[in-house]
Amino acid sequence: MHPPTKFSLLDAEGREKQFPPEGPVLLALVKEDCDTCNLTLPLLEAVHRDTDDGLDVWVAVQKRDDIGVLKDRHDLTMPLLDDDALDLSYETDIDTVPTLFLYDEEQNCTLQTFGFDKHEWREIASESMTLAGRPGVETSIDWESLPEQRPGCGARNYEPGVYERLQALKSGDLLSRLVDLASSDDIHEFMYDQGYTDGFPVVPPTRERVWKMLQGTDRDPQDEVAIVPPNLAPITVEKVAINAVMAGARPEYLPSIIALVEVACTESFNIHGVLATTMGATPVGIFNGPIRDRIGMNYLHGALGSGNRANAAIGRALRLCARNVGGSVPGGTDRATQGGPHRLTMNFAENEDASPWDSLAVEYGFEPTDDVATLMAMSGGPATIADERSRDGRGMAGTLAASMSCMQDPKSPMVDTLVVLSPDHAGIFGRSGWSKDDVRECIMEETAIPLKHRLRSDDAGAGLPPSVVERFGGEQALDLPVPKFQDKSNIILVVAGSSAAKFSTILGGWAGGVYSTPTSARIGPGGALEIRGRSGADMDKRRSGGKDLGAFEPNIRQR
Amino acid sequence: MVTQILDPTDERVPIKRQLTPRPEALHGTIALLDISKPRGDVFLNRLEELLHERAPGVETRRFMKPTVAKPAPQPIKDAILEECDFVIEALAD
Repeated sequence: MHPPTKFSLLDAEGREKQFPPEGPVLLALVKEDCDTCNLTLPLLEAVHRDTDDGLDVWVAVQKRDDIGVLKDRHDLTMPLLDDDALDLSYETDIDTVPTLFLYDEEQNCTLQTFGFDKHEWREIASESMTLAGRPGVETSIDWESLPEQRPGCGARNYEPGVYERLQALKSGDLLSRLVDLASSDDIHEFMYDQGYTDGFPVVPPTRERVWKMLQGTDRDPQDEVAIVPPNLAPITVEKVAINAVMAGARPEYLPSIIALVEVACTESFNIHGVLATTMGATPVGIFNGPIRDRIGMNYLHGALGSGNRANAAIGRALRLCARNVGGSVPGGTDRATQGGPHRLTMNFAENEDASPWDSLAVEYGFEPTDDVATLMAMSGGPATIADERSRDGRGMAGTLAASMSCMQDPKSPMVDTLVVLSPDHAGIFGRSGWSKDDVRECIMEETAIPLKHRLRSDDAGAGLPPSVVERFGGEQALDLPVPKFQDKSNIILVVAGSSAAKFSTILGGWAGGVYSTPTSARIGPGGALEIRGRSGADMDKRRSGGKDLGAFEPNIRQR
Repeated sequence: MVTQILDPTDERVPIKRQLTPRPEALHGTIALLDISKPRGDVFLNRLEELLHERAPGVETRRFMKPTVAKPAPQPIKDAILEECDFVIEALAD
């Protein structure tokens, strides 16, 4: 509560009243639907009449339409000021009405109170008489008939909805360009026409909604979060919040969305390439740690699909940031040949309780209690793996391997592939005592086929170029086994979904994963507390591949 | 009530707006804006003649930008908005 020093409001007759007036003044802020205000307005009127010209009594009313009502109800003659816009209420930051400020002739606020406390009101009334040049003279107020105390009412500027609107308009937090819509504009059609959406309707980012969204983080709205390719545009917390509102996010998702934007724009993740590629990749977000439950993410039934607000909105917000701030628009710099539905949003939490293993985040070096989001670039899938018959790890891993061996095309080696195991499938490995590495080793063995079967041929044109044979020792290398995957660490294993049935999902990485590395953020209130790419040691090895090999360096196993 | 939203983009490009629907008939006052290109006045003079001839109830008001090289000053835009129902701008030469 700050006593105002200067303001200007209109009175009931529309005349401008400049504060402070000359001489002492008693200023009150009231609203109509408050019993305590109605109890005390006659007291203020009495002070007004008893102090005559010696002191001004001004009453600011929080709703314009109530001025006439109060004037008639209490037969008021003191100036009633129109604070319908709540400018004065906001500046003084009152949370209760009535609130009183008494100023002496030098405009120092000497007394103030809120609600009705008879002792304090008596003191203010008495001091008002003194300031009016009538020390020792009592007002005409019958104090004995009044209660000792009455609580005030909540000020209108703190009412839900009003408070957010005032903050949004007056706090100075929001600096983005305001876009005016004509009354004839349909807001959803307008936003689509501007190119702001992913094709689905978005929540209009009004100042109130964006301000509320920003309450989800402790970070300054004007902090720069990242430089977003392909336009290399700086994105502030405010811009992330705007796109988060549009995506349908809640304020508690904002730190995760900020963190994902930060991760996406790292060199390691390379969102530029991910969204520009003709292969149609997209960031897939996987969440670990307590945040999953705290923000209500789904890792059970339908975890990879629709129906959960956090899963859907967080991934969508990232995509909208890339579109609206980064400028990644299909047909523009987004050159996806076909794309896929997961390019709208693909974001889920790991079902850590149902996993026999450490979570993905722990595997990547974080603590189980850390809130972690990992982004990986996926272009293929989601494809279902159905196996209702395997009863042990070997059988289950064999099914995975057989399914994964055909990803992208049956001949080409892959690098990253994301395997989202259902709890039932993961449980098979758990009961068999298989570690993640056991599963990976088995998949490496099972997908290994002779090099000659990975070469391009006239009857199936995809595959490795014949020149690779010379690099690995000529004809004798033709029968050496080449697994589907560059390294076992490229087989990414997570657990999600319910224990409904024995179905799992695989998603293929982009360009073998060479140009984008799974990258994780530990999430704090302001976004990423730390960012780690998956161990980069093997990245250099992959990049050393000759031009003709493209992205791939086949892992040829010597017998 | 005018709805306002915050721009979700990096604000490099202006907002695209829909054209105002084409009116069924001319009425009220038409602003004739000369942007200070050579012979703009010749064009607008003739247009004004034709308007008075064919739409007798319609008034015209003349405006002129001080220079072709800069956008119209705000007072000219405000005056057109306040005083006129339509505007015809004589572009180029």
